[in-house]
Amino acid sequence: MSVVVRRNIPQIIVALIIVLMVIFYFFYIEKPVSDAFGTADKALSDWAIVITAIAAIVGGIDILRYHANQIRKRERRQIIFSSIVIVLEIIMVSLACYALSSGIAITTQPNFQWLYTYLYAPADAAMYSILVFYIASASYRTFRARNPPAILLLIVAIIVMLGNTSLGAMIWEGFLPLRDWIYNVPNTAAFRPITMGIGFGLIILGLRLIIGKETTWMGRRE
Amino acid sequence: MIELIGGWLAAVMIVWIYSFVYKDNVLYRLAEHLFVGTAAGYSIALSLDSLNRTAFGQMVKGVEYWHLIIPILLGLTFFFKYSKKYYWVARYGVGVNVAVGAALALRAAPMANIIKQINAAVLPLWVAGDPLKTFNNWLMILITLGGLTYFIFTFFPKTEGKAGPVRIAYKALVTIGIYGMMVGFGYLFANTIMTRVGFLIGIILQYLQPRFDATLVAMILAIIAIAFAVLKKK
Amino acid sequence: MAKEEKRRPFGMAQIIYTLLVISIVIPLLNPVGLPIGISSTTRDVYNYIENTLPAGKPVLIDLYYEMAARAELEPQVAAVIKHLFEKNCKLVFVSTITYGPIVFELLKSTAADLFADKTYGVDYVFLGYIAGNEPAVRSLATSIRGTVAVDNYGTAISALQMMANIDKAEDFALVFIASSGTDTFGWYVRQWYTPYDIPLLFGALSVIGPSIKPYVDAGQAIGMLTGQRSAAEYETLVGRKGLGLASMDAQSFAHALILIFIIIGNIILFATRSKPKPEGGRRK
Repeated sequence: MSVVVRRNIPQIIVALIIVLMVIFYFFYIEKPVSDAFGTADKALSDWAIVITAIAAIVGGIDILRYHANQIRKRERRQIIFSSIVIVLEIIMVSLACYALSSGIAITTQPNFQWLYTYLYAPADAAMYSILVFYIASASYRTFRARNPPAILLLIVAIIVMLGNTSLGAMIWEGFLPLRDWIYNVPNTAAFRPITMGIGFGLIILGLRLIIGKETTWMGRRE
Repeated sequence: MIELIGGWLAAVMIVWIYSFVYKDNVLYRLAEHLFVGTAAGYSIALSLDSLNRTAFGQMVKGVEYWHLIIPILLGLTFFFKYSKKYYWVARYGVGVNVAVGAALALRAAPMANIIKQINAAVLPLWVAGDPLKTFNNWLMILITLGGLTYFIFTFFPKTEGKAGPVRIAYKALVTIGIYGMMVGFGYLFANTIMTRVGFLIGIILQYLQPRFDATLVAMILAIIAIAFAVLKKK
Repeated sequence: MAKEEKRRPFGMAQIIYTLLVISIVIPLLNPVGLPIGISSTTRDVYNYIENTLPAGKPVLIDLYYEMAARAELEPQVAAVIKHLFEKNCKLVFVSTITYGPIVFELLKSTAADLFADKTYGVDYVFLGYIAGNEPAVRSLATSIRGTVAVDNYGTAISALQMMANIDKAEDFALVFIASSGTDTFGWYVRQWYTPYDIPLLFGALSVIGPSIKPYVDAGQAIGMLTGQRSAAEYETLVGRKGLGLASMDAQSFAHALILIFIIIGNIILFATRSKPKPEGGRRK
C-alpha cells in the first residue's frame, strides 16, 4: 500500500481533528453550528473512551502472547510460571465473559470478586509499596549534605518530616506552621514553573501533531 | 471458610512479595506471576465492562448512539499491529485517540496551566502594614521567575567576555530558581517518606495484622526459600 | 535483576529494612496516641464544606487510586464523605481507573457506618469504571447519560431516582478527586474548572501534593488534602477515628528512625571528608 494510505492519511486525520476541536472551542459562529459542533465534540470524546477500552484489551492479550512465547522457549522453570500467568488470566476473563452473558455486572460476579479481593488487591498493594524499603536505605546512603543546594534540601526535608508527624510538635510547636509556610510559599513558587512547563509541553505536542512533526504515535518506522 | 482462605492468601502474597527485598527467591517469583496473571485478566475484564456500558449499552438506547460503531471498528484496528504487512492499519485507531486527547489538552492548557498561573504569580510587591506578606510575595515572584529562567533552553545570554547586567541578572535568577526548587524537592522528599511509610502501615493494618498466623507461616516459608536461594548461589 | 542477585542476603540495607518494619509494627500494637495539630490547609477545606458548600447539592467523587494508595486516600475519602453526608449532599461516585470498582467495594466495607442509613440510588450512586482518561472526564462534564448507559451494577442511569436532575457539570456543586496520580488533577482543572467553573477539591497522596499545589494557589481548586496527615486532621475535625489517626503513631516512629538514618549517613560523610585525601581533593 502506498505511503499516502499508510502514513499521510492518518496524519491528516489527526491534524484535522485537532484543528476542528480547537477552532470550534474558541470561536462561536451561530447557535445551530455551535450546537452541532458540541454534539460532534462530545461524540469524539466518547470515541476515545471506546478506543482506549479496546486498547487495554489488546494490552492484556500482549501479556498472554509474551508468556505463550516463553513457554514455547521450553525453559523448564519459566514454563511453570508462565503457565500460571496464562491460566489465571484466562480464568479472570472467562469469569468476566460469563458475568456479561448472564447479565450481571462483572465486578459483582462472586468468583471474580473473590479473586480480585484476595489475590489481586493485596499483591498490587505489596508491589507498589515495596519502595518503602528502598527509600529507607536511600535516606541512609544518598541523602547527604554534599553541597549548598543539598544542604538546603536536607534542612527543608527535616523540617517537613518533623512537621508532618507528631515528633515536631513534641520538640517545638512551630514546626507545623513552618511546614505550612514552606508548602504555601516557596514550594508553590518552585512548582509553578513546572506546571507552566507542562502547559507549554501540551501546547507544543498539539502543534507538532498538527504539522506532522510528531510521529512517535505511529509506532514502527518505515 | 472461603473468606478465611482469602485472608490467608492475601497475607501470604504480601509476605512473599516483600521477601524480594532480602533476596530474589522462588516464592517471590510465584507471587509475582500470580499477580501478573490476575492483573492482566482484571484489566481485560474491566475494559470489557467499560466497553459494555459505554458503547453497547448506549447503542441499544437509540439510533443517535449508533455512531459508536466507528470507534469500535477503529479500536479493532489495533489488532493489525500483530501483522507484519498490515501493521499500519492500527494507525487509524491510534491516531483518532491521540488526536482527541491532544486536542482536549491543547485547547484548555493555555488558560489552565499558563494564564491562570501567571495571574496567581502577579502579586503586589508592597503590602502596607504586613511585612510578612510583602516578603512572601517577593519570594513567590523571585522563585517563580528564577524557575522559569532556569527552564529556558532555547537561548542563553552570552557567557564570554565581561559580565554585563543581563548576564548577572540571568545568573542571579537561575541561582534563586535552583535554590527555590531545592526547597520544593526537599518538601517532596519528606512527603515521599510519608507516602511510602503510609502504604506499608496500610498493608500491615489491613492485611497482615488480621491474619497474623498466615503472616508467620508465610514468613517461615519465605526464610526457607531465601536460604535455598543463597545456598544455590554458593 | 543481575545487580539484585549480587547483593548479600544480610547487608546494611537488610538491617535497615528489618528495623523499619519493627518501628512500624510496635506502635501499631501499642498505640501511644501522640497529639496532632490541625494545619491551615486542612482547616480551609473543612470550612469550605461546612460554610460555603450549599447543603443537599450533588457532589462528584472520582476514585482514582490503586490498592497501595488506599492507605493514604481511603481515610481522607471516608472523612470527607461523612462530612458531605452530614450536609445531605448527593454523592455520585465514578472511577477513571480500573481499580475503581475494587476500591469502592472496599471503601463501603471499611466505612460501613457511613453508608448504613443511606440508600443506593437515592443518596449515592456508583457509575463504575469509565475508560479513556481525559476524554472520559470531558464527556462526563457534558452528559453522564450520554456517556454511560448503566451504573456499575447494571441499572440504567435513567432508572436511578437521584440521577433524575443530575447529568452535566453544571449540576454539581463540587468535584472531589481522590487520586494517586498527578495527571488526574490536571484533567479536571482543564475539563471541569476551566470551561464550567465547577469548584474542585483535591485529595492527593503526600508525594503528589507539592507538585499540584500551584493549581490550588491559583484558585483552580478550593483546597487540597494531602495523604494520611490531612486524613488524620480531617478525621479529628469530623469526629470519626479511622486509619488516618491510627497510623499517625507508626508514622512518627518510622520518621524518627529515618531521621536517625539520615543523621548517621551525614556523620559518616563528614568523618570521611575530614580525613586528608592523598590527592588533596575533596569528595564532590
